[in-house]
Amino acid sequence: MKLDTTLLAETPEGIGIQLRPAGAVPRALAYSLDWFIRFIAFSVAAAVLGGVKGMGVGIMLIIYFGLEWLYPIVFELLPGAATPGKRALGLQVLMDTGLPVTPSAAVTRNLLRVADFMPLAYAFGLVSMLLRADFKRLGDIVAGTLVVHVEQVRLAGALPDVAPLAPRVPLTRAQQVAILRLAGRSRRLTTERVDELAALAEDALPPPDYAPGGTAPAPIRPGPRLVAVAQWLMGQH
Amino acid sequence: MTPRQFEARYEPCWIELERGLDALDKGARDGRKARKLKAGEFPTDTTPVAGGARVAQLYRQCCEHLALARERAYPVHLVARLETLAARAHQRIYRRHDFGLAALRDLVLYQAPAAVRALRWHLLVVALVFVLPIVVVGVATWVDPHFVLTVVDARQVRMFDGMYGQEAGEHLGRTSGDDWQMFGFYIMHNVGISFQCFAAGLMLGVGSLAMVGYNGLIFGAIAGFLVTRGDGERFFSFVITHGAFELTAIVLSGTAGLKLGHAVLAPGRLTRTQALVRAAGETSPVVFCFFVFLIIAAAIEAFWSSAGWIAPGVKYGVGAGCWALVFAYLGLQGRGHEAAPAR
Repeated sequence: MKLDTTLLAETPEGIGIQLRPAGAVPRALAYSLDWFIRFIAFSVAAAVLGGVKGMGVGIMLIIYFGLEWLYPIVFELLPGAATPGKRALGLQVLMDTGLPVTPSAAVTRNLLRVADFMPLAYAFGLVSMLLRADFKRLGDIVAGTLVVHVEQVRLAGALPDVAPLAPRVPLTRAQQVAILRLAGRSRRLTTERVDELAALAEDALPPPDYAPGGTAPAPIRPGPRLVAVAQWLMGQH
Repeated sequence: MTPRQFEARYEPCWIELERGLDALDKGARDGRKARKLKAGEFPTDTTPVAGGARVAQLYRQCCEHLALARERAYPVHLVARLETLAARAHQRIYRRHDFGLAALRDLVLYQAPAAVRALRWHLLVVALVFVLPIVVVGVATWVDPHFVLTVVDARQVRMFDGMYGQEAGEHLGRTSGDDWQMFGFYIMHNVGISFQCFAAGLMLGVGSLAMVGYNGLIFGAIAGFLVTRGDGERFFSFVITHGAFELTAIVLSGTAGLKLGHAVLAPGRLTRTQALVRAAGETSPVVFCFFVFLIIAAAIEAFWSSAGWIAPGVKYGVGAGCWALVFAYLGLQGRGHEAAPAR
């Protein structure tokens, strides 16, 4: 069973690009922020135009219309493809192919807000987001768009720099991958936890104090020995 | 090849791509000398090129490296670095390259009327759902003026009477406010109604039909009532000009909504979601079309239709011209042109 929420979008070059769809909470926060910005903008317009009778009211209504319908469309078509609220939360609107959002898709997804809003307070949109693995609301489904986190989560970093050690036995590929992955995450974990996990691979690691040909002896704890094996798997320059 | 050798060998390429993307983001022109491509020549991975073409070249190489790194199960940080780079270049390379002006011209001249014609059966259904209540309720109200009260309540009847009746002032069709104020009001009000007609289509199309039919009902009742009161000319001279755009727009919004509902109800050989996405692509030029129609209608309604000093005969003439224009645009414009596929 797949636990993470990433999606793989295939490009014409035949590679997959990982997308991280944003869930209901960050999107609701972004929406509230946008609502607040629009409210301020309209209040300022109302304060300025309020003195002008007739034409002032007309322009105010046109501004209200623009803030209601055009604000998200315009911002999503600018570079960055996000309204100020989404930008503040690190979100972005993309096509579900991973490509930048097209004008017709931006228009469609924002016009269909009406359908998402029904029966009240974005209930349909929320249900749709909760039911789907890619967190699309109705407008997103129809327009083929996706709201994603711009930043990817990186659990693994570069390996700690230690002297390489050969494993005790030849390793299969799955074993190599497991060792490299754990070594890559070793900086994020406590040393005790790394030791605990590395002990599971004890059969493959060189024994403690193993020192072939007068080299420095292998560390006693399994964690550093596993990292040393990972360095060996990485190869020499 | 070990991961470390791989990294040492190809890192210059990745760094160059990163710098190239940075430069493109800043909008800087690459100053390096590059051979201009001959007409019809396709840049290969060894053609010396610069700027955007070089970035595209490096991007393809990076995609290859990423595929290799994944296939060989290289360490996560190496794959992650290539993934980030490839995703960034992918976004950059496949972005839109113009402001969409050529696409807009295409949309207005060919795609919008062609999309409307492609939905002619849906259009026919919605037009009937709109026109039949107008005729039926209109005639019923004409025969028995009290029938109007079964459709709208007395307060609304009084309001419409004040807008178009004997005591309506110089400005028709409104109780107060000047031209600009009403322009803003009409845009807000009418666009809201039409978008709801469209989006309600997601409820299997029933929502669109119900909303269009309801609007037809009200329109028929008001028209029939005003004719029996002897205010027919005042009312019809008011609505004829902007009605060409506004009534058409309401029918078009219902048509687009019905198409969405139809796709959900009868997706054919596609999944419901796929059918819906395709229907949305087909209807988006129609949505654009009714949106523009509504803005035109609001402007006409605010500045021309309400002007009481223009003789009804002139308004009928101009109104007929507008209807002819709308029908000619939707029916004839762009026929024979191979419309570009909708984006």
